[in-house]
Amino acid sequence: MKTKYISAPYLLWMAIFIFAPLCLVVYFAFTDKRGNFTFENMSALSTYAPVFLRSIILAGVATVVCLVMAYPVSYFMSRMKANRQKVMMMVIMLPMWMNFLLRTYAWMSLLERNGLINKFFGMLGIGPFDMINTNGAVILGMVYNYLPFMILPLYSTMVKIDHSLVEAAQDLGGNLYHVLTKVLLPLSLPGITTGITMVFVPSCSTFVISRMLGGDSAFMIGDLIDLQFLGNSYNPHLGSAMSLVLMVLVLLCMSVTNGFADDDSEGLL
Amino acid sequence: MDNNIIISLKDIVVDFDGETILNGLSLDIHDKEFVTLLGPSGCGKTTTLRIIGGFQTPKSGSVFFDGKDIANLPPYKREVNTVFQKYALFSHLNVFENIAFGLRLKKLPDQEIKSRVLEMLEIVGLKNFARRDINTLSGGQQQRVAIARALVNQPKVLLLDEPLGALDLKLRKEMQIELKRIQQALEITFIYVTHDQEEALTMSDTVVVMKGGIIQQIGTPQDIYNEPVNAFVADFIGESNILDGIMVRDFLVEINGTQFTCVDKGFKPNELVNVVIRPEDIEVVPAIQGQLSGVVKSVVFKGVHYEITVEQGGFDWIIHSTQKQNVGELIGMNIGPEEIHIMKRMRD
Repeated sequence: MKTKYISAPYLLWMAIFIFAPLCLVVYFAFTDKRGNFTFENMSALSTYAPVFLRSIILAGVATVVCLVMAYPVSYFMSRMKANRQKVMMMVIMLPMWMNFLLRTYAWMSLLERNGLINKFFGMLGIGPFDMINTNGAVILGMVYNYLPFMILPLYSTMVKIDHSLVEAAQDLGGNLYHVLTKVLLPLSLPGITTGITMVFVPSCSTFVISRMLGGDSAFMIGDLIDLQFLGNSYNPHLGSAMSLVLMVLVLLCMSVTNGFADDDSEGLL
Repeated sequence: MDNNIIISLKDIVVDFDGETILNGLSLDIHDKEFVTLLGPSGCGKTTTLRIIGGFQTPKSGSVFFDGKDIANLPPYKREVNTVFQKYALFSHLNVFENIAFGLRLKKLPDQEIKSRVLEMLEIVGLKNFARRDINTLSGGQQQRVAIARALVNQPKVLLLDEPLGALDLKLRKEMQIELKRIQQALEITFIYVTHDQEEALTMSDTVVVMKGGIIQQIGTPQDIYNEPVNAFVADFIGESNILDGIMVRDFLVEINGTQFTCVDKGFKPNELVNVVIRPEDIEVVPAIQGQLSGVVKSVVFKGVHYEITVEQGGFDWIIHSTQKQNVGELIGMNIGPEEIHIMKRMRD
């Protein structure tokens, strides 16, 4: 009984700052300016479908890139000596201590047409390339900013995988591919799902990265929502509808990943 | 024992960070033999096992399996399987799938996998456990699954790395007998690593006693116990009285100023030697009849026998006797020539 009361502050917090705003979003999404119930906001969204799609695709690509890059790093990190693991952790966390905007600005000046990278290519006699204001630049920005959020959960599940399990799999006739698919992947699945969530969700709804690195070419749903509340096309009702649909889409995507996770583990059982 | 050598290690050297773990180790293991590598921790016994399993590459030396050099063969291509110290079971798979792991990798037909796994479950006494979650099993049951998982692949050699270390005493004794039974039933070579001398003596056909990366003695349990080659082996295998002695001449040794006839020869006259006498080989007699006599310092009841400590000539003798003695009493001790084991003096 007592433990129940200890969680009271958070429950209160949740009610005021999470549940109530969510109700407001739903209310705004289904009302017009005079407060009448309407589906207009929702039906208006169909024109923005390409933006939704692009957001999900860009975030999806960034998530996959993060996973592919983070998995081997996390594995080898988890097999290092304890003090080396700490150093690696520092190195991975280090960029996160720098301001998010500053980091993204830095990429702007690197990728610009007159930026450092193009100057370097110029010295080699190639280029300049159009790197900024492309989908690629946005994905790069996402990967750069959110990679640690993939590495950390992966690392913390992998550090718990006993190395003798890898040896056991080899002993039973498994080559490297078997060890990866039959032992490491299933056992690190909780880390993979957490990592995907922690990269995909913020990537999907970002507007800073897409605005700074994507320009007009990579206009994302986050930018669109931003416009409805702070921009010229002020319309909180439409903005709420967008937020609501984005939330549902993200939840759907997440349930698909989690579904895969469950299917896999059950399939193996 | 037949002379069919299945594994042969030649001059194996292993270093870790400049520290020598194995120092020119050579060892032949015969087919269908139960071999135990016995020694204190850090003696290199687990490293030897890992070299046979392929998890460790020696700095120099060669490993022959059925006459072929396998030193550079990765673990998954070797015809050996391992039972790991902490079982290393796959917690994401149930009992059946854990055991089927190796067979599935070989892409055997489902029907064959099923019949072989179920047969194995029966052999290790876990008949109705196929669908059980690994995490719900007790230590002893997990151990059986680990053994089944290795044996189902029908390896020519099974490597066991202190597999009973985590079990309680009673279960350990049961599993010792069980393992020996399985080994004899399936006619597979077992290479078993342990630091428990009793375990080694109970199960093995051959015991290999190791210390500091060097093999001290290879022999049957009886040989190792009755004829230890040096004081280390004598001390490690069972309790012993290890004394300094002088080999006066062949068949005559002087211990604590008293001369005893013995059965050893071939030492230099008056060579300093170690004398090993097992506590159960000392006969307690009235003080006047004894070759030696001393005062009882302590008597501890051990179940089958009393452990009696007797001070004589500045040395505390340990005697195992079924007869109780009283502390402070003067008693005599007799030692037959057969019971005195003479070995070269150890340098350390």
